[in-house]
Amino acid sequence: MTRLLKPSRRTVLQTGLAGSAAIAFGPSRLALAQVQEVKVALIAPLSGPWARQGALKKMGADLAIKHINAEGGIKSLGGAKLKLVVMDAGDSAEKAKNAAQRLVSSEPDVVAGVGSWLSSFSLAITEVTERAELPWLTLSYSDQLTLRGFKNVFQTSLPASFMAGETMTTALNLAEKETGKRPKTISVINDNTASPVAFTKDLRAGGLEKMGLKVVSDDVFTPPLADATPLVQKLRSARPELLLMLPTALSDYKLLLEKMNEFGLSKGRLPVVSNGAPLGTPEILNLLGKDLLEGLIFSIANWPGKGQEMLEEEFKKETGEPWLSQDPLCSYGHIMVMREAIELAGKADRKAVGDAMRKLDTKGGSGRFFPGGNGGMKFDEKGRRVGAEIVFVQWQGGVPVTVFPEAAAVKKPIWVKK
Amino acid sequence: MNDFLINLENVLQALSAGLLLGGIYGLMCVGLGIIFGVMRVINFGQGDLMMVGMYCAFYLFTTLGIGNFLGAEVGAIVAALLTGPIMYVFGLLLHRFLVSRVTGVRVAGLEGEGHYAQLILTLGMALILANGGLLLFGSTPVSIKSSLSSSAWEVGPFVGEFVSIFVNKARGIALVVSLAVAAALYFFITRSRLGKSLRAAADNPEAAIYMGIDVDKAHRMAFGIGTAVTAVAGGLVASYYPFQPYVGLEFVIVMYAGVVLGGLGSIIGAFWGGMIIGLVQQLATLVLPTQLQNTAVFVVFLLVVFLRPQGLFGVNVTRA
Repeated sequence: MTRLLKPSRRTVLQTGLAGSAAIAFGPSRLALAQVQEVKVALIAPLSGPWARQGALKKMGADLAIKHINAEGGIKSLGGAKLKLVVMDAGDSAEKAKNAAQRLVSSEPDVVAGVGSWLSSFSLAITEVTERAELPWLTLSYSDQLTLRGFKNVFQTSLPASFMAGETMTTALNLAEKETGKRPKTISVINDNTASPVAFTKDLRAGGLEKMGLKVVSDDVFTPPLADATPLVQKLRSARPELLLMLPTALSDYKLLLEKMNEFGLSKGRLPVVSNGAPLGTPEILNLLGKDLLEGLIFSIANWPGKGQEMLEEEFKKETGEPWLSQDPLCSYGHIMVMREAIELAGKADRKAVGDAMRKLDTKGGSGRFFPGGNGGMKFDEKGRRVGAEIVFVQWQGGVPVTVFPEAAAVKKPIWVKK
Repeated sequence: MNDFLINLENVLQALSAGLLLGGIYGLMCVGLGIIFGVMRVINFGQGDLMMVGMYCAFYLFTTLGIGNFLGAEVGAIVAALLTGPIMYVFGLLLHRFLVSRVTGVRVAGLEGEGHYAQLILTLGMALILANGGLLLFGSTPVSIKSSLSSSAWEVGPFVGEFVSIFVNKARGIALVVSLAVAAALYFFITRSRLGKSLRAAADNPEAAIYMGIDVDKAHRMAFGIGTAVTAVAGGLVASYYPFQPYVGLEFVIVMYAGVVLGGLGSIIGAFWGGMIIGLVQQLATLVLPTQLQNTAVFVVFLLVVFLRPQGLFGVNVTRA
């Protein structure tokens, strides 16, 4: 008690020196001098079944931080360096939410964050970050993320409900362009987990018919499959011109594609369209082999295309990964969005960065790392990126390459004509 | 092809898929059936022992080079069969140091004959194996790569150019090996002296002791054989099915349903129980939405429990 009431000689001296400095340099110069580093956060699954995706996200974020700091840090804050705070979202929405709570309580000076791959995790995390007024970027697809009236959630991907329609329209256009004939019949196979069910909801509710497609077989299964024979036998009987296939487990992809190979429907004989990041991972190549994957097309929120060759080469060299995929590319881009917002805010304060994020309207900056929007970065009143588009990726020769949009395509799509 | 031929092909294809799947389920169930039949232990870790068997076959095939040495096709089968002896020893050790503490003669007088401790022990064992597997092998699915899993023998066409059945090569070979292992085991249990001692220990442990049979040793052997048989089934599954450390959970329910369906304590019944599950799972898709195929399995299971509680091959015995 005595110490609290009677400050020591050293405390008096320190206070005096600080006061003198404040008078000598003025408040703004002192503030600049104090900001040595600016903390940004990444919450990603680093343990459990999605640990690999979390590790990929961290690789992209680390590379972005390295680039920003090598270029002189945040200029409007006197070259302050960016520092990444990483939290493990684990294997459940509950653990992800706990990670967000730990972040806001133990790291009060974090100014913005990104995460956390799965929509269910992102939904849980943003309940916490919104209350803490922490600006939060996400690649997750769920519409709900930006339909809750939150002010500090920023979604760079095209929301799921738009993605489904865009995927089918683009697939039909590609087929018509490559073969001269627009597919008229389709089969749908998906598992009954949240994401494929949401993806196909509007398509099943008349969406496919409106596109001029007749559904010749439609199957929903409970994952994991023990055997894909009944599903693929139906394809053999129904003979569709296009298959929309949306499993979520890698094991189900393997069983379905192997069975299609057995029944002579693989290698583009029955064009397959799918959706989602797991389809572009090196693990799926290792598990299925390049022959089974050949020709498989999937839509995704982001994939490296033209103009990102140097970034991809550096990423491969830095990490030893065989290619740059959606997850590291998005987290790289998200850190770049944060840099632009912090530069605009001019101070390391989460509210100011949030305001700056809402006002952001840049061209040729962070927007280069996301498809659509004419290379710009701007969010609408819901927090959705203006002009966001999808990318079509196709497995060609054992590598997933961008085939659409044309501006970003590194190869032409292959669509077997017969 | 007209509607009749399409439907005929669908039925034949589902039947073939059901037989292929049922054969491998049958072998898994036999492993669990031996352990339950001889020891009266409900082993919740059986699915995870199968998972260990799958990884064992995988590493025999890849790291130890069986795949390179014998070729992918033969190597996959040899790796699965070699998993048997390795997992037999693993099972013996598990029994010696863990399972024997809560089973056998030493718990005969305890409340519930030690079943409470057995449940907790085998459940704990399952959790340790699955999480230990996650630490050791990671969460990315793997499988033994061979052309067998994505190629088929075409049987037919039966009607002109139409109605063919495609028999997946990996699953076809797995069925043949399963039948051979199950038959060998059947003859071992029914014809050999060791088999008779196992049956004696299962039927009446006290009388078996009086007749000079080492019941603890018989139990240890039963646990080892049960582990090995399920592991061989796992090794065969690994040649066409991607797996990760939690794969045991996908199969343990099937194993229990198969054993109960066939009749608790009946080894041959366990095999047919597994076979029925495979057939129902595949044939159900002809009349029900695909996502209800497992529901159909459990409807049949509940019907059998309701109409014939002792199972299809079980007998009601009142011990003196």
